[in-house]
Formats: sequence, C-alpha cells, structure tokens
Amino acid sequence: MTMFLVRRLLGLVPVLAVAIVLTFAALQSLPGDPVAVMLSDHSADVELAARLRAEYGLDQPMWRQFLTYVTHVVEGDFGLSFRFVHTPVIEVLADGLKVSPLLALAALAIAFPLGAFAGSYAAIHRNRWPDTAVILFLVAGISIPNFALATFLVYVLSIKLGVLPVAGWGSFDRAVLPVLILAIPCAAYLARLARALMLEVLQQDYVRTARAKGMSERVVVWRHAFRNILVPLLTQTGVIFGGLLSTTFVVETIFNIPGLGRLAIQSIFARDYPVAMAIILLFTLFYALINLTVDLLCAAIDPRLRAEGAGRP
Amino acid sequence: MAFRVLRRAATLAIPVALVIWSPANAKTLRVNINADPSQIDPLTYSELNSYQVLEQVYEGFTSITPDGRALPALAVSWAPLSSGYGFRFNLREGVKFHSGRLFSAKDVKYTFEQLLKPGGQGGLSAQFLGNVIGAADLKAGRATDLAGVKIVDEHTIEVSFTKPDVLFPIYEFFFMDSGIVAELGADWMTKSDAGTGPFTFKQWKRGVEVDLAANPGYWGGAPKVDGVQFLIIPTGDTALSQYDAGELDLVNLPENSFRRALSNPAYQSQTIKVPKAQVRYMGMNQNLYAPFKDKRVREAISLSLDRDAMIKGLYNGAAFPLNGQTVPGIPGYNPDIPALKYDPERAKALLAEAGFAGGKGMPPVEIQCTEPFRDEITYYANQLGKVLGMQVIPKVVERATFIKSMNAGEVAFFPWSWTADYPDAMTFLGEMWLSKSPFNRPRWSNAAFDKLIDQASTEPDDAKRFALYRQAEKILMDDWATAPLPATSNIALRKPNVKNVTVTPFGYSVFQDALIQ
Repeated sequence: MTMFLVRRLLGLVPVLAVAIVLTFAALQSLPGDPVAVMLSDHSADVELAARLRAEYGLDQPMWRQFLTYVTHVVEGDFGLSFRFVHTPVIEVLADGLKVSPLLALAALAIAFPLGAFAGSYAAIHRNRWPDTAVILFLVAGISIPNFALATFLVYVLSIKLGVLPVAGWGSFDRAVLPVLILAIPCAAYLARLARALMLEVLQQDYVRTARAKGMSERVVVWRHAFRNILVPLLTQTGVIFGGLLSTTFVVETIFNIPGLGRLAIQSIFARDYPVAMAIILLFTLFYALINLTVDLLCAAIDPRLRAEGAGRP
Repeated sequence: MAFRVLRRAATLAIPVALVIWSPANAKTLRVNINADPSQIDPLTYSELNSYQVLEQVYEGFTSITPDGRALPALAVSWAPLSSGYGFRFNLREGVKFHSGRLFSAKDVKYTFEQLLKPGGQGGLSAQFLGNVIGAADLKAGRATDLAGVKIVDEHTIEVSFTKPDVLFPIYEFFFMDSGIVAELGADWMTKSDAGTGPFTFKQWKRGVEVDLAANPGYWGGAPKVDGVQFLIIPTGDTALSQYDAGELDLVNLPENSFRRALSNPAYQSQTIKVPKAQVRYMGMNQNLYAPFKDKRVREAISLSLDRDAMIKGLYNGAAFPLNGQTVPGIPGYNPDIPALKYDPERAKALLAEAGFAGGKGMPPVEIQCTEPFRDEITYYANQLGKVLGMQVIPKVVERATFIKSMNAGEVAFFPWSWTADYPDAMTFLGEMWLSKSPFNRPRWSNAAFDKLIDQASTEPDDAKRFALYRQAEKILMDDWATAPLPATSNIALRKPNVKNVTVTPFGYSVFQDALIQ
C-alpha cells in the first residue's frame, strides 16, 4: 500500500512539470503585453513602462524568465502579481483558496445525499409517479445550462421576491443560490446513476434471497441494496468533484464570488500571468489528488487493484 | 423512512426558507466599481478604480468640482514666482492627517520625492513633476533631494520649474503623511491610510469590497454618512440587478449596460448623464496610408459619417456629437465650433477632386480597434464603402497589443479616445495632437499648432489661454487632422433617497456631502 502511494505521488511530478510548461507556453503566446495592460492608455510613457518591465523581470529573455519561474516555484515562491502592485501571488490566492473548495464541497454535501436518495427512490417506484417526477428533475437538472438557471433564479428570488441577495459573498444567504446552482446538475447526475444502479441491484440474487427470507421491503432496499450502490456512487463522486471545481469558474463569475475561478478569468484578461499560472497549477494538483484519493479508496475496497498497482512496471 | 430521509435531504438542499435577510447599515453609501483597485496607494496608482477610492481619502493642492472646476483644497492660494518659472503655494493650516499628525509643507515635498525616487513606486502622478528642477537628478539617483522644491515655512512651499507649467496647481496629487512609514512600516497601505480627505481606509476584501469610514475631523466638515462601501462588481448586469434589489445606492454603469438602463422608464428619474472627460477621434496616419496625405480625403471621410445615426444606433442615445477635440465639462472647451455635417454628395465630390473618384486608386485599408468596438468599426467599413467606394476591412485586435502598436505609430486607421488627466483642455490638445507627444498616435504634425500649444502652456491667464486653445483647435480642424467621433457619457443611477452624490466627467464625485434619507 505504501509503495502504491509513493508511486502514485511520484507520478504527480511529471504531470505538474507538463502543466507548468504548457501553461507557461500558452500564457506567453496570448496576444498582449502585461505592462501595456498595467498602464493601459498611458503605455506610451516609455520611462514608466521600462521601469515596470525591469521590476517584473519582463525584460529578460523568455528562457531565463521560464528558468527563474520554475526555480522559484520549486522553492514555493509564485512571485509577484502583475495586477496587484507589490503583492505576492500567494496573498492574492489566499482568499480564493478558502472560497472555491468550500463552494464545491457544500454543493457536493447537498448533491450526494439528494442524488443518491432521489435516484433510489425513483428506482423502487419504477414507472410510477415518483419515478416520473425524479426523471423530470434529472433531465431538467442536467440539460438546463447553469447560467440560464442562475439568471432565472436571481430574477425570481432576488429581484421579484427579494428573499436572497443578487450576488456577492461573505454571508450565508449569499451562498445559497451559487451552492444550489452547483448542486442541482450534480444531484441530477448522481440521481440518474443511483437509479440505474438501484434497478440493477434489485435484480440481484441476494436481494431475492433477502425478500425470500421474509424481510420487510424497507430493510431489503435501504439496508441491503442501497449500501451496494454507495460504492460505485462514491467512485463517481471523485470525477464529479473535479467537474464541480471547473463549474465554479462560471458560477463565481455569475454571482461575483471572489473564488479561484473568477480570479483565474480576471487574471487571464488582465495578463496577470503569475496568478493565472498558479491557479492552473493548483487546479492540476487538485484533479490529480482527487483521482489519487479515488484510486486509494477503490484500492482499499478491492485488493485486486492494489496488487495490480504495486506490480505496475 | 424513505420519505423521512428524503425530507431531511430536501431541507438540507433548500435552506431558502430559513434565510433571514439582513440589509446592510442604511447609513453607508454603497456604490460599485468594476474591478479591484491595483493597490490603494497614493503613489503607485495608475488606473481608474484606484483613483475612485483614493480621491475620497487623499487630497492635493486643488480638488475638482462635479462641473469640472478646480477649487482650492490643501492649498488656499498660490502665485507665480517672481524669480523664475514656478509657484509659491500657501497651504491650508490646521489640517490633520488621519493619523492625527498635522499636514505641512514637508509632507508635500515628501510626496513629490517619493513619486520620483529611483526604485520608488511613482505611478501616473509622477508625470506631472517632469518640469520640476532637479526631478531628472532625483530619478536617476544623482540626488536624494528634490532641488526645485523649497520649504519656506510650515505652510508655505515654492516649486520651481525648468520651463513654464501654468497648470501645475490643478494637477492631481495625493499628498501623504510623511510619518506613515516610520509608524506602520512599508506596507502601511494595507493597514491604514496617509491622507487628509473626508474618508479613511477601513478594509479591502480583495474581490469583494473596499470599505471607507467617515473622517469626523475632516477640515471641510464631517461627512453625513458613516462610510462608503465600494462593491467590486465586474459586470454591469450584476450591478444593475443589485441596484434593483436595493443592494446599491448609486451605480456607475459600464457602456454595455446603457441599453438596459436607458430603455427602462422606471429608471428615468434616477438617471444621471454627464459627458465623459474623454475625446474621441478617428486616427488617420498619413505615413502609413498614402491617400490620407490629401486633406480632401480626410474631410471626405468625416463628411461620410452619419453621426446622428451613430448616436442612436451604436450608443443608444448615450452620446453627443463632438465637433472639435475638446469636450464640455472640461475648461477650455469651445462650444462655438460649427457642427460637422453628414454630406455624402460633397464627400464624393471631394474624393473625386483628390483623384480617387468612387474610391478608384485607393488601396484597401484595415480599420482596427478592440473587441468592444466591433460594431463601430463594422459601421465605418460599411459606410465608407457605401458612400466613398473605399475598401475598408474591419479588424478586431486584442487591447494591449492594439495600444502598443498605436503608441508605436503603426496603425493606419482607427477610432480611439483620450481620457483627461486633469481638468483643462491642454490634457486633450497637448497630449493627443502635439507633434512630440508620445500619445499622438495618428502622428499628425503641424508647426503652427505646436507653437500655439507651447505658448498656451506658459499662459497663466485662463481667458487668454483658452483663446490660444481655440486658435490651435481651429488649425487642427481646418486641416481635418481627424474626424471627431461622437463623445460618450458617464451614466449612473441614483436611488431617490440618496442626495448630494453624482458622477462627474471623471467618475464618482467626492462623497463628503453625501446624504441618505
């Protein structure tokens, strides 16, 4: 198990290295010059532009900028932000780091139980009205784009009824709509999965055996069948969590939430390369760690995977 | 049980019913800005969002009224020096910084030196010190002291120049407390502020808001609101929705929200509309596209533009025709320039006279601008093709790249603008059209114009200086250096219970008299 973990962690190094090279190349090839963005209309001020260029090391050749960057990143230093004067990248990211994972986790905390129960409930009432209602919900949840749903809910709940704030961050009521928007498609996806899994499990021999033993339907469904769908659902949750992090880009922008997603978009537009790079690397790391966690969970459950992992050349 | 569990899940998922909405303190003025300031530092600031926060906290020699006039602020009076070029300023007595220390001449000198010193942080205000004696030495590290600034006594200071600079008193400086670094360290601006203004810095939650508190000891009288909250809202649509929901008292709108705001009759009585302190023009670089060398071609292009249609179609009515290169609201504006006409027949005739009848013999030319102006350059391309037979290709360019190539004089044909740095028409005529200005992007050059502007920069009398501007502007327009384009407005919405706040040609007014009923 330890070997497996070490191998997988070492495997992260080339992934991150490739991410650094690709994001550096991608950002450098964007049209536009960070100093010109900083000074906007006044960028013909040659003196000021030259001073800023030197201060941020932008007067160095590309390869040297890259080497300096990599050396610093290895030392844990992401440099200074181009957009926020004299502010380290870490400081710019600090607030967002507290927001985006929280948003995604809150959404998951709602989506997982809701999806699992709604899907199972639909399955045991197959082809009756609860099933139809759940299917309607999940089709709508999956197919209505999040920005459309957000606009609709803001219009009804915030502008017409005035029960929730339009946008912003910092209090519980401001988090309700964004978390809902994130949770709904997730819950719908999980419900679809749970319904399919439950239908399959209910056909299994052990369920038939349990029924044959005279157990009550409630115990059969919730104690025996439901537990068995939880494992594949959890596996899927890893993938879904990664997706949730990406969706925060959209939701944070719509609701004006100071998370990493909105910051990434603003940084790219402002040519704030150091901040954009750091966020992309962080997200790469998040994805890799989530996949690792899921693999570890699976390995813990299924010894065959562990052996296979350890024996991999 | 399934039902019970489901119900529990539902109560988790939809906590809407449990929400208790608490409105923010009603006595704080809540306004929007479209991005974080780059730093709330009176020295480094170089963009509008920092400026809008800083102008509430810091002051200079003068302050700008909402109608564009400069009023004495930290200087009560000033007079030209008899010994040479420069000014002697009498500073306001009894003014206290937010730290409690008294404001005096040494703080003015300190601010100037911090703006210039090498390795320093001088942003945009540093450009206003270029003519001060000793500025170059200080910048290059050959001196540690700004030779041209002399402290006469605690409340008198003399500033000497290498050449006349009559507008110096109205340049926007933010004087800072010279004792702040010793008290709070180099990162003082994250904890406090060093100003004298009506509001003090409270906190900046990056990406969320900047909060200011009222300064009860303000020399001009304590503000009537408890503070100002600048909410950072990147999109106009969100800002408008928050205004609708009562989360903002005053909303300054970006141009892409004008249509939504102006088409809603409910907003009519809440709308504030003032011309922006911004001149718009068509850049025609004669070095890059040979037909532009002929004045008749330049005039024909101006005559081909239907400015009324543009104002309606492109700007939703939130613009007004501009006939010269100065705008109302900025002293030195000339309202008497004859209106520019839309005359396609005369435009055709002029082009034929120039030897390009029906556009024959004119090579195709690209008209470039940034993404927000896509519709506008498409209009020019169509209109010039239709009226003059010119082959104009619209091309959208990324903003920073575009500005860089314009500054380098590498763009032949482009609509662009210039925003005032201070309230005097010199900010337009001098910076945009003087031959030697780095911001003269179309590279138009005229010796007689340059002479008049140089002369104006030495003329302290407003009336006489404005007369020189008029002569210079006439030369500019008679030569069709450009085709002026409709100028846009600042549009804001203000709740009916909010008084004494507005937007000016430069952005938000200073909120010292703001009142929320």
